[in-house]
Amino acid sequence: MSDQTTAIQITGISKNFRGTLRGNEVRALVDVSLAVNHGEIFGLLGPNGAGKTTLVKILLGALRPSAGTATINGHDITTAAARGRVGFLPENHRFPPYQTGLQMLYCFGGMTGMSRSEIRVKADGLLELVGMSQWRGTRVKKYSKGMMQRLGLAQVMLNDPEIVFLDEPTDGVDPIGRHEIRNILLDLKKMGKTIFLNSHLLAEVESICDRVAILDRGKLIKTGPVAGLIDVRPAYRIETTGLNVETAQKIQDVYPGAIIDDNRIRVTFDDPLQVNGLTDLIRECGVSLISVTPEKISLEESFMQLIRESKQHE
Amino acid sequence: MNKFRAILYDSFLEIKSGKMLYLYGAVMLIMVLIFILVPSIKINGENLFESGILSPGMITRGMAHFFSGFWGFALFLMVFGSAWLLPAYLGKGRIELTLSKPISRMKLLSMKFATVFLVKISILALMSIIIWLAIALRLGAFSMQFFFGLFFSFLVFANIYALVFFIGVLSRSGALAVMGYFVIKFSTDLLAGRELVYGFLGDSSWKTVLDTAYQILPKIGEMDDNYISLISGDGFTNTYAIWTTLAFSAIIFLLTLLIFHRRDY
Repeated sequence: MSDQTTAIQITGISKNFRGTLRGNEVRALVDVSLAVNHGEIFGLLGPNGAGKTTLVKILLGALRPSAGTATINGHDITTAAARGRVGFLPENHRFPPYQTGLQMLYCFGGMTGMSRSEIRVKADGLLELVGMSQWRGTRVKKYSKGMMQRLGLAQVMLNDPEIVFLDEPTDGVDPIGRHEIRNILLDLKKMGKTIFLNSHLLAEVESICDRVAILDRGKLIKTGPVAGLIDVRPAYRIETTGLNVETAQKIQDVYPGAIIDDNRIRVTFDDPLQVNGLTDLIRECGVSLISVTPEKISLEESFMQLIRESKQHE
Repeated sequence: MNKFRAILYDSFLEIKSGKMLYLYGAVMLIMVLIFILVPSIKINGENLFESGILSPGMITRGMAHFFSGFWGFALFLMVFGSAWLLPAYLGKGRIELTLSKPISRMKLLSMKFATVFLVKISILALMSIIIWLAIALRLGAFSMQFFFGLFFSFLVFANIYALVFFIGVLSRSGALAVMGYFVIKFSTDLLAGRELVYGFLGDSSWKTVLDTAYQILPKIGEMDDNYISLISGDGFTNTYAIWTTLAFSAIIFLLTLLIFHRRDY
């Protein structure tokens, strides 16, 4: 059940798509359950075709779930009230090409129930914020992909949403634009907004998300804080001088997973304290230590590992 | 109200951006110029339009025939101009964003229909009134019954657009919507003359099939017959065609709402 701290509650959502041929059914989502708390940035990760966009589309009423329920701010997703204080930037959006940036804000803002005067007041500040003020009167069809993303973000923030859904928001945006979008998202978080972020850019998710969920072939395989996913197993990079073959062999015997390359050793432990045993062994063999550097497993490595494990379990 | 206004604004901008608007303008201009610049016809040295040879009844009947043809042509253009609006609205990347707004699907589609209808009939009304004024000033006959015909053309357009809307939701293709509309219109025009082929049909079950199809399908061609009688002041001539077409359109519109309500986008 959703409570006051839960912004989005998903319970046992499944989605099957019928193919054109009989019996050709695709299971896009399988019994997905998760909760997103108010004020957090939640990242949904997964390879292409994992079901990330399908899940967002279900939450926002574009798709009907085959099974399960979900609520947004306590409202059932099948009701219009669930989308009352929500902002959304879809993946591969096609804003009406015949509208100017400002006209688009009038149209989509109006559809949330805002009056023209309310939109007029907010639009100027938002277009300024996303760096689109000078293009407000230009038709959308003349915009670049990056400009459309920025305009899309202004549209997302127009009705002062409590929850923001972003599907690949930095797709097609240059590095500077990406950095700016990241900062906007962090500003939104500071304002207490809840952000549900779909992205395949793991570095981006790692840098801004509080928690993530990993989807693979429609199944939720992991949910948790980013730190928890990244620091699954600590790794160390050890630099030495005078590492001979005998010592390398001894290290390999005791730590079979160690990767030894010239004077460099890379090893992963289940327990971080195990690094002391390795450094003692190196010293006992008369080899000098230059440095011991903890190596953080990136979210990408962790992600790849989880996907591999998921495939092995099938 | 803000939501309706926003969708109306969007529909207006979308229709304004299309090339059809230039075509409507060109058609209107040509008609106005024809009536303003038409050379005076002299009979026995007297100007035909000022001689009193043409009785007001003749002028009204002439106008009725003219507007019957004009509205038929204008509605034909309107079908072309509006068939692609809904498929574009339902296009990938746009409909997801629209559906994420706090409006129920039923309201959303009804508003889209209503707003496109309002913009289109405004254009039709503007064109018709300007041409009517040109004719009336030239001939000196201000027949107010013209407005009955004009309002009836709105009703005919609502029926046509309901059908185009239905095919648009079903197929998400403007081309198919236009083709579907013309297939149905052509079929019903043929069915209107079905009695001519009864003699050639040996099996009476064919007669039943043709009769049933005729009763069910909209009778858009036959509705056009009412323009002349309305402007001439004779009222409706074919009320059966009107009521059955209205019933068909109402059912088709409800079906469109139902399909849109249940469909995945």
